[in-house]
Amino acid sequence: MADEEDETGFDDELDDGSSGVDVGHGRRKRLFSKELRCMMYGFGDDQNPYTESVDILEDLVIEFVTEMTHKAMSIGRQGRVQVEDIVFLIRKDPRKFARVKDLLTMNEELKRARKAFDEANYGS
Amino acid sequence: MADPARIKAEDTPERIKSVTEGNLKPEQTEDVSAPEKPKDENIQLSSQDLPKQEVKPETAAREDEEEGTSGQPPSKRLKVEPEKKKEKRHKVDEDEIQKMQVLVSSFSEEQLNRYEMYRRSAFPKAAIKRLIQSITGSSVSQNVVIAMSGIAKVFAGEIVEEALDVCEKWGDTPPLQPKHMREAVRRLKSRDQIPNTKYKHTVFH
Repeated sequence: MADEEDETGFDDELDDGSSGVDVGHGRRKRLFSKELRCMMYGFGDDQNPYTESVDILEDLVIEFVTEMTHKAMSIGRQGRVQVEDIVFLIRKDPRKFARVKDLLTMNEELKRARKAFDEANYGS
Repeated sequence: MADPARIKAEDTPERIKSVTEGNLKPEQTEDVSAPEKPKDENIQLSSQDLPKQEVKPETAAREDEEEGTSGQPPSKRLKVEPEKKKEKRHKVDEDEIQKMQVLVSSFSEEQLNRYEMYRRSAFPKAAIKRLIQSITGSSVSQNVVIAMSGIAKVFAGEIVEEALDVCEKWGDTPPLQPKHMREAVRRLKSRDQIPNTKYKHTVFH
């Protein structure tokens, strides 16, 4: 079974509390259990997904965020994570790229709308 | 142009109150026989930043929220003239919005539930921010958190979709089991869709 576990985070499923291999990863409290369940249902899984699957997905997401962060730190301005770095890293993946562009555009629009709304309020 | 889900009366107050909008990525559920796959996207924002007053400006801003060209590769967009692009984009937007409206109006109860979960689910910004900051050691801007949460959700979606493919291929039924997830990860890895900087393959050494 060991050769299947090249994914990080499985350790905590097998681990019986020994201080073993991967201390940081998967030993921490589950961060996204509730949200991931809803997400998995939304993406097509059953309404009650298996806890083990949710755990695997959480570990994968955390690893993904970690990798992206490390990569972003190493490009552009060193040691800092900036939006431009993330956009650069994502450029080859059309889905993610489009999503990030949309999110950032929408955020700007909402900020502008909020500001206009506040100013209108301020006038009255 | 109204959000397609808003045509449902019971959904309307929910949609307007909640500021969180989800991804409109084309999705396949078991019940949907042959769904149309529009390429528009919707923006997902947390409700943390915006007070309840935001209903009006948010509704106004919603008009432009659907992105018609998001399906095309980014490089293609630059070749079209800016003016023509805006007109074209508007028309494509309207078409897509209408199509989405028609589609969502024909959803069954279960499909509506699933669609709502799909749009509303999101990673908590605070947790993502904490995670990133624990890695960088310095603070990160809000846009970074927004971008990272969005990408993480897309990533989770890719894995679940692939796992569902695997599940179907192996003749199993949902709920997804760890073996499906692992096979999905293995497939995505072979397509380089999962970043991995741990094991580098040096050709010449």
